[in-house]
Amino acid sequence: MNCAEFQRVLPETIEGGGNAEHQAHLNSCPECSGLVSDLNAISQTARLLRASEEPSPRVWNSIETSLKREGLIRQPLRDRSVTGRSSWRLSPAWLVPVAAALLIVFGVIIYQRGPAQPSQVAEQRAPAVSTQTINLQTAVNRANDDQQVLDAVGFKSPAMRADYAANLQNVNDYIRDAEESAQADPNDEEAQQSLMDAYDQRAMVYDMALDRSMP
Amino acid sequence: MTDARKLQGDRLSEAEAIERAKQGDAEAFETLYNLHKRRVYSLCLRMTANTAEAEDLTQEAFLQLFRKLGTFRGESAFSTWLHRMAVNVVLMRLRKKGLAVVPLEETIETEEESPKKEPGAPDAMLAGSVDRLQLQRAIENLPPGYRTIFVLHDVEGYEHNEIAGLVGCSIGNSKSQLHKARMKLRELLKTSRAEKAIKP
Repeated sequence: MNCAEFQRVLPETIEGGGNAEHQAHLNSCPECSGLVSDLNAISQTARLLRASEEPSPRVWNSIETSLKREGLIRQPLRDRSVTGRSSWRLSPAWLVPVAAALLIVFGVIIYQRGPAQPSQVAEQRAPAVSTQTINLQTAVNRANDDQQVLDAVGFKSPAMRADYAANLQNVNDYIRDAEESAQADPNDEEAQQSLMDAYDQRAMVYDMALDRSMP
Repeated sequence: MTDARKLQGDRLSEAEAIERAKQGDAEAFETLYNLHKRRVYSLCLRMTANTAEAEDLTQEAFLQLFRKLGTFRGESAFSTWLHRMAVNVVLMRLRKKGLAVVPLEETIETEEESPKKEPGAPDAMLAGSVDRLQLQRAIENLPPGYRTIFVLHDVEGYEHNEIAGLVGCSIGNSKSQLHKARMKLRELLKTSRAEKAIKP
């Protein structure tokens, strides 16, 4: 069997393993064995792409809006009687819009500052320790905000807390990646845009949490 | 789900969420969405290579599912039902756009599809390793017909007989187009690797 004959039957044999003749050719031909090895590597790596992407929070927002409009989501009456006006005052739900507003303001400030000028870059490079301190403080503030949001969601709907925690984790990972890219190259407009998108997504998760935590 | 379990913050199981969603429970709908959103969205994104369109199709697939939830009797796995629905939603969209969903039985290979190698020239190989991000980009550059078969088989794990039923082609055609898609991807990956090596 030569290479042309082997490659002609390859679509049929690659999944089934082929017969002894095919195997003999593979053992003696580095080109065909390299080809089969590449095709198998492509196929195996492809499996890693399954469920690898996270949709934006706005997808669920749109679905929920449609479900409500079509009457498929019905609000249970008991929820309204249990969580009355007094429990709303006692609940930490009011913290959610405050945190969302602070987040948006923070994002806008970062965006308006835009790419750093050379002199600013020089100034920013000198106090490296204080920049790290600011980053640490930002991370701590972010974690506190998240905790308040999750507490608010958990107060009204304990079962959804884990889902919101996972969503916030994904969004925070996205923000961290975008921040790293933007810091690596402050003039990279794409990185700045990714950062703004990341903050938008976070604000959207907060908005959804606000809806969820309302009585 | 009992109140005690709810207080402990347990997540709804899929079966509980399905039953509660049938009663119109908002939380149950969201639970079902969260359980399956990544798989459905990834499928839509791979098949369309377009973020906005993938989000739109994800929304459409879940809405169709939720509208038909009352008819779900549990004879098949819920995830199988949902993914089949998502595939159909995507295929319908591709057909509406006039894109080739069903690959041709007899594909006339163009020069671009079947790059010819100079006799005796060494064939560059991927050495059995493929970068996930590079593969992702290469899939985006596949012709839609090849992409559909490749995503359904190699990414989503459908068998050739299932693909034949879904896209309306023969099993042999599905096998043959899958092979051509993999060969095309190999070429795209080799080109991408060569370009990367040239860049400083």
